Amino acid sequence: MKISKEKFGQSFDALAAEYKTIAPVSDAAGVVNYEAVESFSEVKQNYLNSKLPPKSFFFPQHEKLLSYVKEGKDVTVKNELKVEKTILFGVRPCDAKAFLLLDTVFKNDMFTDPYYFERRDNTVVIGVACNKIAPTCFCSSMGFSPASSAGADIFLIDLGDSYQVEILTEKGKALAAVFPELVELTVEDQTLVDTIKSAQTTSQVDVSTITSKLEKFFDHSYWDTLQEKCIGCNSCTFSCPTCHCFDISEEVRNNKGSRVRTWDGCMAPLFTLHASGHNPRDKKKSRWRQRMMHKFNYFVHNSGDISCVGCGRCIKSCPVNLDIRQVIDGVNKAELVVN
Amino acid sequence: MNNIINDIRETARQLLADGKVDVVIGYEKGSLPLKATPCFVRSAQEVDRLIWDETCENNLASFVANTPGKKAIIAKGCDSRSLVVLIQENQLLRDDVYIIGVSCPGVVNKRKIEAEIGEILEATIAEGTISVKGMEGSKEYSFADVKDATCQTCRYPNPVIEDIHMGVTIEVSQSTPFADVIEMENKPDSERQAYFNQQMSKCIRCYACRNACPMCYCPECFVDCNSPKWLTGGVNRAENLMFQAGRVLHLAGRCVDCGACARACPQDVDIRAMNRKSAKDVLVMYHHEAGISETIKPALNEFSADDPEAFLVKE
Amino acid sequence: MEQNPYLPIKMRLIKNLVETEDRNINTFTLEFLNKQDEENFKYLPGQFAEISAFGHGEAPFGIATSPTEPGILKFSVAKVGCVSNALHLMEEGTMVGVRGPMGNSYPIEDFKGKNVVIIGGGFAFTTLRSLAVYMMDEKHRADYGDITVIYGARNPGLLLYKDELAEWETNPNINLVTTIDKECDGWCQRVGFIPTITEQVAPSSVNSYAVVCGPPVMIKYTLPVLEKLNFPPERIITSLEMRMKCGLGICGRCNIGTEYVCKDGPVFTMAQLKELPSEY
Repeated sequence: MKISKEKFGQSFDALAAEYKTIAPVSDAAGVVNYEAVESFSEVKQNYLNSKLPPKSFFFPQHEKLLSYVKEGKDVTVKNELKVEKTILFGVRPCDAKAFLLLDTVFKNDMFTDPYYFERRDNTVVIGVACNKIAPTCFCSSMGFSPASSAGADIFLIDLGDSYQVEILTEKGKALAAVFPELVELTVEDQTLVDTIKSAQTTSQVDVSTITSKLEKFFDHSYWDTLQEKCIGCNSCTFSCPTCHCFDISEEVRNNKGSRVRTWDGCMAPLFTLHASGHNPRDKKKSRWRQRMMHKFNYFVHNSGDISCVGCGRCIKSCPVNLDIRQVIDGVNKAELVVN
Repeated sequence: MNNIINDIRETARQLLADGKVDVVIGYEKGSLPLKATPCFVRSAQEVDRLIWDETCENNLASFVANTPGKKAIIAKGCDSRSLVVLIQENQLLRDDVYIIGVSCPGVVNKRKIEAEIGEILEATIAEGTISVKGMEGSKEYSFADVKDATCQTCRYPNPVIEDIHMGVTIEVSQSTPFADVIEMENKPDSERQAYFNQQMSKCIRCYACRNACPMCYCPECFVDCNSPKWLTGGVNRAENLMFQAGRVLHLAGRCVDCGACARACPQDVDIRAMNRKSAKDVLVMYHHEAGISETIKPALNEFSADDPEAFLVKE
Repeated sequence: MEQNPYLPIKMRLIKNLVETEDRNINTFTLEFLNKQDEENFKYLPGQFAEISAFGHGEAPFGIATSPTEPGILKFSVAKVGCVSNALHLMEEGTMVGVRGPMGNSYPIEDFKGKNVVIIGGGFAFTTLRSLAVYMMDEKHRADYGDITVIYGARNPGLLLYKDELAEWETNPNINLVTTIDKECDGWCQRVGFIPTITEQVAPSSVNSYAVVCGPPVMIKYTLPVLEKLNFPPERIITSLEMRMKCGLGICGRCNIGTEYVCKDGPVFTMAQLKELPSEY
């Protein structure tokens, strides 16, 4: 079933009056990112993917957890969790899949992170299949494809002047109530849908055995040289839709302060530095190993899936071209020395 | 260029075979079109990995101090100036590094091409022409049109310090130095402010700029220091400007304008603009340019009673 | 909605006591403000809490009190970072924030019917004190066999809880061995490093557990002694330290392999640690 973009746009505009609405927008230089919009006319069409991942709408780079006022020896603490009903439009399959992975991080066997989940629960994710596939995309290797709907509440396929619509969840159903009646796909539409659905990324990696290989890989000499050119910045982790590590710090002025959390990353030496000066991951080698082990082994143990969705952002943003596809290949090819 | 690479490989082979160095720090072909990647060659058999062309954009001087053993480094003009500063600041012993100097015609600005024709699928470089196939179309560029901004204003394409030189030297263009800075200085405050506001709002504080910079070698950067805490974790244009401006001040008289920071920036922030202004001020006021000679004392290491103090705020 | 695990409860600092002669470690006694907060804060020996010094930040510290000591929590903290420095300077009566209890505890259920050997060095004695006090409590003492405590510091002035140790000396419920690194005037207990003293005391491993906490070097040399005494790795327990922020197993910095020290630890058996990467 489909809806014309014109009619969809009218529904979108009506919803945007009621919900905080986030969608891909292009800046003057042509860089696409997710931003608040008021009308469908602002939404970038035919974009590849956003430069930065949409995880920031559930897990902002900088957010106040609580604030406080100190008076004498006393203190008054206030919860700063604020949530708006939100629509996140135009999420690509890799990023929608990443939300499912992040869900397993922000809720574990003991705790639920209310800041993440209050936003997540109050947001409807409208996914859109990829019509174009970048040379750095490799989602097809990660168990899904450029037209996978997992993680979306409503999933669209762009057919030019209309969208094919799939309503996937109760949240999606509630939102779709404002759509006018959907119409049947034409034969041409169906052909286009089939083409988009069968598309695969041209870039592929083999992750079929990486998790088990990494089991016995911690002390492998591969880590010694792999990371030599890494400069230890966080452009890979900040551009990654599944990276979720954060710092908590204090922002204070006079007697007022707040506790904030900010994105952090395993590439920074300070990430694990104890107050005593001891640092369990004091070398680039141990930090790169952590990045790979976490994504391709530890995460699988703890959450049942690899924590990489093949979006390719880290490949594009790395200042020294340390390409995660090559790192995966390197692990695959490295010989296991059994001690 | 191809002859140069043969010479580089032969030199590297000799150095490694003779045991004069343990590692040659150079460039190899990257995984993306028009992108070379730093490489560390440790045996004579591996030297054919080395390449040299307009895609060799990283400043390899930032790897020298942390690479163990005796090393050789492939140095462009700007890289060699970084090495001079590192030697002057006692971060590196001259005898610990063998400098394979290469005159640099400039590196390519890949982003400019991608903005026009989308993500690059294939590219070839030949005789000053770059032929590119992008997701949104194909195009041939003359290298001069897509040269990195840093390289367009470069006045030191030839290494200022080296143990051996590869290829011919390049004639330095005689354009007005700092024309771009003068243009920025002449803009009204409001326009300048708007420009930097817009640039700073793009920064995501990944610190790629700082980490790509050979001069940013502090074990603890002021942004990471928690007592006193100079910066909050806030990522907004005011905090970002504090970070960038702090870096500019720390680099005053030290920045060699290699542009590695700007090329490393995943968000395409114009990081150089402020550093260039500082470089110009240091040149105008103290007649000093960072890293152009091992024997000239760095601007901040020398004091004279009649040093200009125009920047001081006086009661 | 479930309780927000990032929001601390308020507790009052009722005592800020200089614990060691070098004035580097203070013991903070915090008082619950109401019964409800105390009810919600049900903990066991070995657990820790995140303490907020408002205006400075939050840091994790092991709980030094035992759940058998109602109404209060105690923390003995060395002055090393931003938060610990602020706490050291804090006036009594000031409100601090507390999140917790966090992490797992010493396996006190497994200890039942067993002898327990507690080995501690320096200021890593805090949660060990909690454990000893818990087991010695009249309600619990009958659950356990012999309780031996081997505790050492560089010099007498650096021992924590000196008054309590003096009381333990004569308490028939516990066998206390204290030691210092080098001889000094007025010291009439043992002299020598923990591993050596452990070897001398030679606690029996029969039907016993050993709990070891201290500086890494002490642990490194004590483990072979315990092995020699035939303590199996499953019955050697230790507690780890890591840089932590959330304390909830989310922020990602305190993992050793698949385990988050804040949530899955800090207490591990040597058998468990042998299965994990040596990255701590």
